[in-house]
Amino acid sequence: MGVLTLGTVSCEKYYEPTTSIDEESALTNAGDVETATIGTYAVLLNAAYVRSVHFLMEYPSDEIAQGQSSGDDLTRAYRYTHINTSSHATNFWGQAYKVIAAANKIIAYVPDESSITLRQLKGENLYLRAMMHFNLVRVFGRPYSQQSGGNPGVPLLLDGLSDDQINTITRSSVKDVYDSVIQDLIKAADLMSENKSNSFASKEVAQALLSRVYLYKGENDNAIKYADLVIKSGRYKLVQGGEFSGYFKTAPASNAETIFAIRHTKVQDRAFSAIGSMYFSADASGTAQGQGVSGWAEIYASKKYVDFLSKNPGDLRSNFVTPYTVNGVLQYNVKLSPSTPMYYVNKYSMQEGVINLSSPVYLRLAEMYLIRAEANAKLGKTAAALEDVNLIRQRAGLTGTQLYTVANLGTKTILDVVMEERWLELAFEGHRSYDLFRNNLPMERNYPGTHSLNNTPTTNITQKVLPTDPRIIFFIPQAEIDRNSKLTQNP
Amino acid sequence: MKKPKPNPIRRYPMSRSFGYPLAMMIGLSLAHSPQSIALPLAGRIKVEVVQADRTVTGTVKDEKGEPLVGVTITIKNNNAIGASTDLNGAFSLTIPENLISNATLVFSYIGYAPVEKEVGDQTVFDVALTSAINQLDQVVVVGYSAKKVKYLSSSISTISNEKLRDVTSNELPNLLQGKAPGVVVSSASGDPTSAGRILIRGAGTISAGTSPLIVVDGNIGGSYNPVDVESITVLKDVAATGLYGSRAANGVIIVNTKMGKAGKTLISFNNTMGFAQATTGNFRLMNSQQLYDFQSAFYPRDASVLKTNTNWWDEAFRTGFVNNHTISASGGSEKTTFYISANYYKEQGTQIENDKTGYNFRANLQSQLTNRLTAKVLFNGTFNKDNYANSNTLYDAYNNLPFDPAYEADGQPTDGRTYPGWLGRERENFLHSVQYNYAKAQSLNVTTDVDLDYELTDKITLSSYNRINFGNGLSASYNDKRTKQGGANSGELYNGTSYSNRLLTSNRIRYSEDFGKHGLTLLGVAEAETTYSSSTSAAGKGLPPGRDVMSVATDILTNPTGLNEQVGFRKFLGQADYNYDNKYFLVGSFVNEFSSLFGKNNSTANFYQLGASWILSNEEFLKNNKTLTFAKLRASNGTVGNADGLSNFASLGLYTISADASYSGLPGAAPSQKGNPDLTWEKIKSSNIGFDVSFFNRIDLVVDAYVKEASELLYRKPLAATTGYSYVWVNAGSIRNKGIEFSLTSTNIKGKDFNWETNLNMAFNRNKVLELSDGSTVFNSGARQPIAVGHNMDEYNMPIWAGVNPENGDPQWERIVKDANGNVTKELTSTYNQAQTADSRQFTGKTAAPKFTGGLSNTVTYKNFTLSAFFNFVYGNWVYNESRVYFDNDGFYEAYNQMVPAKDWNRWEKPGDVATHPKAIVGGNKDSNQSSSRYLEDGSYIRLRNVRVGYSLPDNVLGRSGFSRVSVFVSGDNLWTATKFSGPDPEVTLSQVDLSSGLSSLRYPISKKYLIGINFSF
Repeated sequence: MGVLTLGTVSCEKYYEPTTSIDEESALTNAGDVETATIGTYAVLLNAAYVRSVHFLMEYPSDEIAQGQSSGDDLTRAYRYTHINTSSHATNFWGQAYKVIAAANKIIAYVPDESSITLRQLKGENLYLRAMMHFNLVRVFGRPYSQQSGGNPGVPLLLDGLSDDQINTITRSSVKDVYDSVIQDLIKAADLMSENKSNSFASKEVAQALLSRVYLYKGENDNAIKYADLVIKSGRYKLVQGGEFSGYFKTAPASNAETIFAIRHTKVQDRAFSAIGSMYFSADASGTAQGQGVSGWAEIYASKKYVDFLSKNPGDLRSNFVTPYTVNGVLQYNVKLSPSTPMYYVNKYSMQEGVINLSSPVYLRLAEMYLIRAEANAKLGKTAAALEDVNLIRQRAGLTGTQLYTVANLGTKTILDVVMEERWLELAFEGHRSYDLFRNNLPMERNYPGTHSLNNTPTTNITQKVLPTDPRIIFFIPQAEIDRNSKLTQNP
Repeated sequence: MKKPKPNPIRRYPMSRSFGYPLAMMIGLSLAHSPQSIALPLAGRIKVEVVQADRTVTGTVKDEKGEPLVGVTITIKNNNAIGASTDLNGAFSLTIPENLISNATLVFSYIGYAPVEKEVGDQTVFDVALTSAINQLDQVVVVGYSAKKVKYLSSSISTISNEKLRDVTSNELPNLLQGKAPGVVVSSASGDPTSAGRILIRGAGTISAGTSPLIVVDGNIGGSYNPVDVESITVLKDVAATGLYGSRAANGVIIVNTKMGKAGKTLISFNNTMGFAQATTGNFRLMNSQQLYDFQSAFYPRDASVLKTNTNWWDEAFRTGFVNNHTISASGGSEKTTFYISANYYKEQGTQIENDKTGYNFRANLQSQLTNRLTAKVLFNGTFNKDNYANSNTLYDAYNNLPFDPAYEADGQPTDGRTYPGWLGRERENFLHSVQYNYAKAQSLNVTTDVDLDYELTDKITLSSYNRINFGNGLSASYNDKRTKQGGANSGELYNGTSYSNRLLTSNRIRYSEDFGKHGLTLLGVAEAETTYSSSTSAAGKGLPPGRDVMSVATDILTNPTGLNEQVGFRKFLGQADYNYDNKYFLVGSFVNEFSSLFGKNNSTANFYQLGASWILSNEEFLKNNKTLTFAKLRASNGTVGNADGLSNFASLGLYTISADASYSGLPGAAPSQKGNPDLTWEKIKSSNIGFDVSFFNRIDLVVDAYVKEASELLYRKPLAATTGYSYVWVNAGSIRNKGIEFSLTSTNIKGKDFNWETNLNMAFNRNKVLELSDGSTVFNSGARQPIAVGHNMDEYNMPIWAGVNPENGDPQWERIVKDANGNVTKELTSTYNQAQTADSRQFTGKTAAPKFTGGLSNTVTYKNFTLSAFFNFVYGNWVYNESRVYFDNDGFYEAYNQMVPAKDWNRWEKPGDVATHPKAIVGGNKDSNQSSSRYLEDGSYIRLRNVRVGYSLPDNVLGRSGFSRVSVFVSGDNLWTATKFSGPDPEVTLSQVDLSSGLSSLRYPISKKYLIGINFSF
């Protein structure tokens, strides 16, 4: 009995998990910093981040049409019928702050003066923190151009805050968030010196995002400055011809134009839960099929966008839209009246030959030219602006009179031309609604889609969303307000 | 109770019994020491020959005429003199001369009513014993010992094998439902591969588990098949459960499997066969015409859709067959007994492609190795094959449109993806998928127990109970490339394997002695347990059609996974059990327990338990009272813990290093869990008072009242996203459950041929959150069932539905407006966001917890016929009928089928209409289907769980056929239900799962079963 009792006492033992490590040992040396940084990037892969943020940023635009009503919260983003318990807004908020909190641990751990490798990794985490804050402030805060950033933004979660401070954190102004983002990106660009692949942050990635942030902020000179730095770095080139037509089927590492993409490897195919599943349905060879074959295929390129794109036959960008046809006849989703043409979007499909695999592109070189063009246009530098616009149009295969001169602008302003080009080039990549609203332009959706269900009668297929509309931004997730009463709600 | 207990074998205490005047002993019905029933193992009994004065002989048989082996024969009030029956039921006993006058022989056998015979001048006694029908004389296992019910200080319920197995199922919870007061069973599904959940005396935890601890054959955990169960004992109060320390907070269910009896080998075949159909309650889906008419107001369709009228529900459900066959053999010699059984169970789900097949083998051996050493070896092996329901069948059964055809003209299932003009939203026909796809699992679970009892001295017994438990599982799920599920990846295959072993040793020392009228038993236990588990999974894609093995996959689908983990427990306990003159009983115990689950600062905890009882009917003033034939008062108080439901490393701050933390093919580590090194056991302080009374030996009433207060509740606290974590495990706050329960058993008629017995049991439980940590008033606010101080933890808090605006048919909710001065006004709003705010959400006063639950059974026997009917009922609970989002949503989904509105529902059509349902608008009417009190429904029900008619062939028919018993029965499960609930089945999970209870989602309703059985023995 005594032996048994002693034997029993020796069973008082603790065990370690095998798929996790103790946080005390997670950040103890330089090697850990790299592993933990990889872990920070990995959060971006969660559907709750990459998929939800896509819905929130892209679906309010006029380049897509939802062809049938859906119970998924993505419908609310599309129809501007938000609720404060939106699942996608809650997902995105949660994951974005998870990235920031993970980055903060590394930012706090690595001193500014350290090895090249560690400085690079610290820079990458600063970049990720800035990227998240910038996405958050765009989704939940009003455009900078309104009240000069004086509206409520989002909580600025910086390193070094105590638990109490974090638990009662308040929303900083849009301006304060922008300023912090800029500060992080400048420091990140300064710290990073390794030319990592476009799946990771590097100096040019930080500069490219800086260029975009400055453009949104209205600091056109700075926008041009950083766009120039990226363009002139020589690390990227505009891909041409067939390579351009197959842009999104190429793995990011093989794409010379991509500056930063959220890399999904072949084992990270999300199938019916992929972004591409909402846009596209095909057989294994990529030939478009009816709904439900490889995807839901209920969000289409809008008739408005396709009509505009079709004005220039031969525009290579029409390759990114696959009309679903049967015996050469365009199909319609007949769930609504009037019915919606089924123009499949393929920018999120067929990477490395896998139907629903994609590595969403966050920054690419074409955008840098277009940022420079827009900033120049706003600064009255017409020729410089047109030069960049034409560069993008030429790459798209347009020639001759399809290119702009000051003389053939007609009634369009130079800014109109830049905005149209951004629309054509960057469609479905989450830019359009920000481009309109930050420039104080309305969103007009006079084409078939479920947004008309807001109207009476529902066959009235018009919608005009003004940049002053409260619903151009999302509600702060009610669950977060419930946990931190210091957070104020958007009207 | 016919099985020997892990008790020491007591010698007959010769020395002290001799001196007592006989008169003092009158009134003791049994000579055995009451607090631990001695087991009359034949070989141990010595025939004491004091003076060779008269030898009496005879045989003892049971009511069927089978000889009983090992029956103890003693002289009343003098248990020093005794004998026991041999293999033929024969005995011989010599009575000393000085005892012959007035001597009475007592024939006693566990599980049978004792019989007394005055010796007089007789020398031959042929006696028949009948099964003990009196509950009070049943011996039950509580904690680490066995006692007669009447001597317990605890609140327990015992269910015999026959009572347990009226309903046909292979899952214990389904068998227990309604059979013991305070034991609430709820099944969330009619799927034979899923078991119901058991909740004893209400939930007292937030995030920890609510399942009771299962103790099989004396050790925690273990595997068993319900057919081999001798009896189930449910321990409810702390004096009984406390010995299981850290894991007893939710009550304990003691399962004892059958042991053999010495004597002729008995071979039995038990066969049950029948069929099952899904219950549909008040629920009906629309047919084509109904849906067409409903939608015509807001989504008119071409009349051509009416050409098709598919009843998808009927396509998804079927008549399932149920088979249960058992063969068992039991018997043995005086020293060694055995029970061996093999069982085959097959139940087809009422949903297509869903079934469960179980094979079980059990061998229980017991042997008296030496005079002092007894060994038991128990073996149980279970092999299960589960075919899971296809993932989309149920969803489509509810939601597919009747306008879409299930079959092509040639009889083949249609493929929704390619069928021209398919109208349903999901574009899928499960009938097409189930041709090729499957999800299945098989598991092998083997348990071996080796139990040793060694009698060190007459008073001290050492025991070592040891168990090894191996579990092995394989799972496979295949999506053929021809189907919608597998099409995108040209075929998908998922394989998983799991392995676990659990080692447990429980070592006990027991000291037992009587000092005159004082009886004392001391018990010490040292117990250790460790569980190791590992699992791996792989997923491939690109498989040729119909080829479902990983080797043919041409590519990887997701990263492989695998892990192995270990947890450990260690426990010491001591218990003292005292009684005085079989009238007063005291029990006290102390438990110290360690678990690796908890934080290093707090991984060990202490618990204590006290119990007392008083048998009034053994007092002079009640003795021989003809009306009140038994009366006992009981009280107990103590503490237990809860560690169930906690993840293995809940206290640690963790970075995950799984593939989820990898990026671009590189391994990574990401913060995944916030640490709490102070995390400790949830502690439950519990008090119980109760009484047991019998009137006329025919009416038994057991009443208990209890208070359970749980503190340091385990709570998986959701964190604000800005913390970077989703949750942290904390100990937070306290919750109280209090309640009253009773069980009333009445033998209404007891005659030669005709008997009628009724049992009614009911339980009333009230739950209240007393306090939360850090002065918080609410946890998990915003949830449908937040944890709020002063409220039932199952109470709903949500936007309050305020009906339909008669002017325009819009939905309305209550909105609470606070002005600058803090004045609160209530107004109506048709904007959901204004109702879904912290201010506007309100407690509804409606909870998912029933006001009371219970069961009513009636058993009538006439000659060889038995008729029994058993009802269970649940009253006063509210169910959130979540799936109405899909099929009662005011036009939100035009491409889903809708339910036929319940009787008292009506829809707004024109200004002035006072309606329950808003105007239907395609795409939805202003978020009318969002979470609100609109979908809360009364979940009360009463259900005829079982009705059965049985018939046993009389002995004269059996004659010399060789059969000792042949019986047949017909039986029906769940044949009738009364409820107001609008869904198919009001029975929902009443214990919280993921912080939610009382939720009815797309239900796989439970089955009605029609069965026949044939049992025979020889």
